[in-house]
Amino acid sequence: MNSLLEQAPLLAPLALGILAVWMLLPREGNRAWIIAGLCGVSALLWLTKNFLPPTDNVVQTGMFYAFAAGAVLSGVMMITESNPVYAALWFAMVTLSVCGLFLINAAPFLAATTVIVYAGAIVVTFLFVIMLAQQGGATGYDRKAFQPTLASIAGFMLLACLMFTLQEFGGKAIAVEEGEDPRMPRPQFILPPATVMANPLSQPMPRKDKPDQNDLGTLQGVGRSLFGDYLFAVELAGTVLLIATIGTIALAPRRSQGTL
Amino acid sequence: MTAQLESQLVVGAILFVLGAIGFLTRRNLILMMLSAEMMLHGVAVNLTAFGRYHGNASGQVFTIFVLTIAACEAGLALALILGLYQRRKSLDVQLWGNLGEPDLPQMSTEEGGRFAPQHPADMPILTPAGRMPNSPVVPSNTKI
Repeated sequence: MNSLLEQAPLLAPLALGILAVWMLLPREGNRAWIIAGLCGVSALLWLTKNFLPPTDNVVQTGMFYAFAAGAVLSGVMMITESNPVYAALWFAMVTLSVCGLFLINAAPFLAATTVIVYAGAIVVTFLFVIMLAQQGGATGYDRKAFQPTLASIAGFMLLACLMFTLQEFGGKAIAVEEGEDPRMPRPQFILPPATVMANPLSQPMPRKDKPDQNDLGTLQGVGRSLFGDYLFAVELAGTVLLIATIGTIALAPRRSQGTL
Repeated sequence: MTAQLESQLVVGAILFVLGAIGFLTRRNLILMMLSAEMMLHGVAVNLTAFGRYHGNASGQVFTIFVLTIAACEAGLALALILGLYQRRKSLDVQLWGNLGEPDLPQMSTEEGGRFAPQHPADMPILTPAGRMPNSPVVPSNTKI
């Protein structure tokens, strides 16, 4: 019990956040929007204080906070929205925020690709199907979630396990280890292993036009890694796409069986 | 850079868990697929953050593969959802509770749970295999 109390700064904001999600999930009757919103915002602020400290770079920190908050809040709105059309639009917002995070992670090509594939293709196709199949907006099965309590408990357990692992073996453990504190465990999964080299073509090289910078995240660097180290995987991915196309055509409803 | 990595891992974990909760609670087939895509987004944030932290391009390449598989999954899922919608005229996933094993407990909340097939269009149409038997099927008044 003592160790559980020691983890209270970790567990309390998670419990608050999951409680907010549980209150917001679609159910019969009115939902407590204001209480749930207060719970969720306080949980996010608490988590920010514990886990997401601001760095020296003000612009990068601000962008990170904006995109992370956008992704998380839009995700909550998506799973709690009872109208499926609005839920799909909130999913587009999640995608755009995640693309902002990709930009912070020096992956502009990936951000553009994700916007095109997700927001441009997947969300539009799903919206198309929703509008064909469900023109009346929210139906009975959208207004009542399936086992919200059990799902919230399962989500809380999963999130608590992930965050506990991150706290014990993550970045703070590195910071303490630099101060030579022997009580802290070694950061096992964040540091690159010393004995294993990364793939040679995936390492950044000096840019041709600006020799003082490396080409991490540029199209040249990604392409060299993709078609050098991972060439066979690219061929496999192309095969999977072809098989999925054939399967989709085979599964699609025939015109003789009538359309929607 | 270390603090930035940990923050991104936290965001990835939260997105993954939100997608899991959505997949478990929503009963609309399309929203279940969208929740699964949100779990993939959480994984993609993790991959790019680690790629940036370790300073190589492998994380971004893995994310490209995740994107490929997500596109395949969306196409197949839409074809399946359209096929299911044609049979029941509804996107409710609980109408397909009779696909489960018969001795498992039913977790359904209302509407009686099991949805018995009411007309033969609900049953799958199997492609006939093998040679067509000819002796009893041929009508007697046909001249061979």
